[in-house]
Amino acid sequence: MEFFASKTGLAYWIYISASLILGGVILWALCVVPPKFRKPIVILVTFISGLYLSLEFLVQPPAGQEQNWFTRKWPDVSNVIIVIAAFALLIGTVNLLSIHGKALWKRRENWYNSLAFFIAFIAIMAAGFARDSYDGPVVQQTFNILFNGLFMPMQATMFSLIAFYIVSAAYRAFRIRTIESGLMMGAAAIIMLALVPVGTYITAWIPEDSMFAFLRLERIGYWILVLPNMAVQRAIAFGIAVGALATGLRIWLSLERGSFFEREL
Amino acid sequence: MGEGTIYANPLVYIVEGAIVLFILVNIILARRGKKLFIRRIPGLASLDEAVGRATEMGRPILYAPGVHGVDIVGLQSMAILSHIITHAAKYSTRVIVTVAEPLLYTVADEVARDAYNAAGTPEQYSTDDIRYLTDRQFAWASGVVGTIHREKVATAFYFGAFFAESLILTENGQMVGAIQIAGTPQTTQIPFFLATCDYTIIGDEYFAASAYLSREPTLLGSLVGQDFGKVVMIALILIGNLYFVLDWLMPDSGVVNLMKDYFINYFQVD
Repeated sequence: MEFFASKTGLAYWIYISASLILGGVILWALCVVPPKFRKPIVILVTFISGLYLSLEFLVQPPAGQEQNWFTRKWPDVSNVIIVIAAFALLIGTVNLLSIHGKALWKRRENWYNSLAFFIAFIAIMAAGFARDSYDGPVVQQTFNILFNGLFMPMQATMFSLIAFYIVSAAYRAFRIRTIESGLMMGAAAIIMLALVPVGTYITAWIPEDSMFAFLRLERIGYWILVLPNMAVQRAIAFGIAVGALATGLRIWLSLERGSFFEREL
Repeated sequence: MGEGTIYANPLVYIVEGAIVLFILVNIILARRGKKLFIRRIPGLASLDEAVGRATEMGRPILYAPGVHGVDIVGLQSMAILSHIITHAAKYSTRVIVTVAEPLLYTVADEVARDAYNAAGTPEQYSTDDIRYLTDRQFAWASGVVGTIHREKVATAFYFGAFFAESLILTENGQMVGAIQIAGTPQTTQIPFFLATCDYTIIGDEYFAASAYLSREPTLLGSLVGQDFGKVVMIALILIGNLYFVLDWLMPDSGVVNLMKDYFINYFQVD
């Protein structure tokens, strides 16, 4: 639809101004609406939003076409969601600045962590804007150092801690006290051995084409993963899917209960 | 959505319609006063005990709603958060919420404000306790870990969508001696939570949490309807199994072809 197409020049600024004015008018209207009408408005907006996504899946595309009307309009709808998320990001950033600003201003305990936050926040923001605005080796390199040189390795470091945490968690938690825990340990040991060369070497002496080939560790490990493990995972997934359907239905029809969902607006 | 979008076929209309019908009928029956039974879920039954432990130790509670945003998983997490804050507010116990998604942060902030109001203690609400950290997975995890160690939390709740960072959070909770309760629909993270947390809520128990905690007739009715939905799933699995057994025993027979035309083909995804 041309209305949602990208605009340039004067049309660009007219659309932005009109959107801001329209947004302000809607906010004002929501504020002056009597309280008894606010909840029905929220319920109606929730229902229409959910109805769009339901119809997008349920309505068959017309003959000869691959998509229905709802799917074709989805890029425009997702742009609206992206804009709302951008405003929410602003609110989240304000919260971050507020918390760390107070910690720094009042010199609370560990205030230097808040100082580090501000330095990092300003540095990466400045580097990002500079990279997008200017085309030079210095700004590109600065951004690369901050993002690829600092952020990515730090992320990888946190990820790599998992290896050590798995060992400490397993050492602490995996005790054979019952038959079930013994079965679990046995299955875990078989699968661990099946996935490493040393483990497959243990049963490599059994010929591949013999009638006892099923006793090879990699085959037992594969069987455990593909059959009982997959069956249980799928069973849990079925339950989750039905649970998600029920929860989604309650939220869509505004049947959810709780202090947040039932409060007066 | 977009290229290669999958649309519903007639079997989806029937199955989904049946499940939705079961849920709505049971909600109506529950609202009319029908008594419904729900089994004990240990992880959810111990929520109040965990809040009490934090109160006794005089240390705060941490609530981490995962890395997803405002979706079914996130909203269910907010329903559980509301219950925890309402309970903690009675004992003036601080609840620190560390959020990874800005949209969910706005919802968490409103939920916290309303929960403290509902508990009659609006003065306990503090914007500093509802913290948006970052939407980057491991940066968020390191922020939560820092909060766990600096605040020396006595109780940690992990309800939401978690991925690789789950073990990082729970191991650090163990280090400070916190009692930890986790619930996630992510099957891949269940083993890590089981190994490190005191109580773990698995699979669809997560979506039963709001019904279990509030005991509202509407929610209980929905939960019973869910169980009927699982019966529908089991019936479909049995029919599918019957088809494959019959196909193996008597291939190309009339019954097998009939089942294939009117049932199996609808499960084929191109």
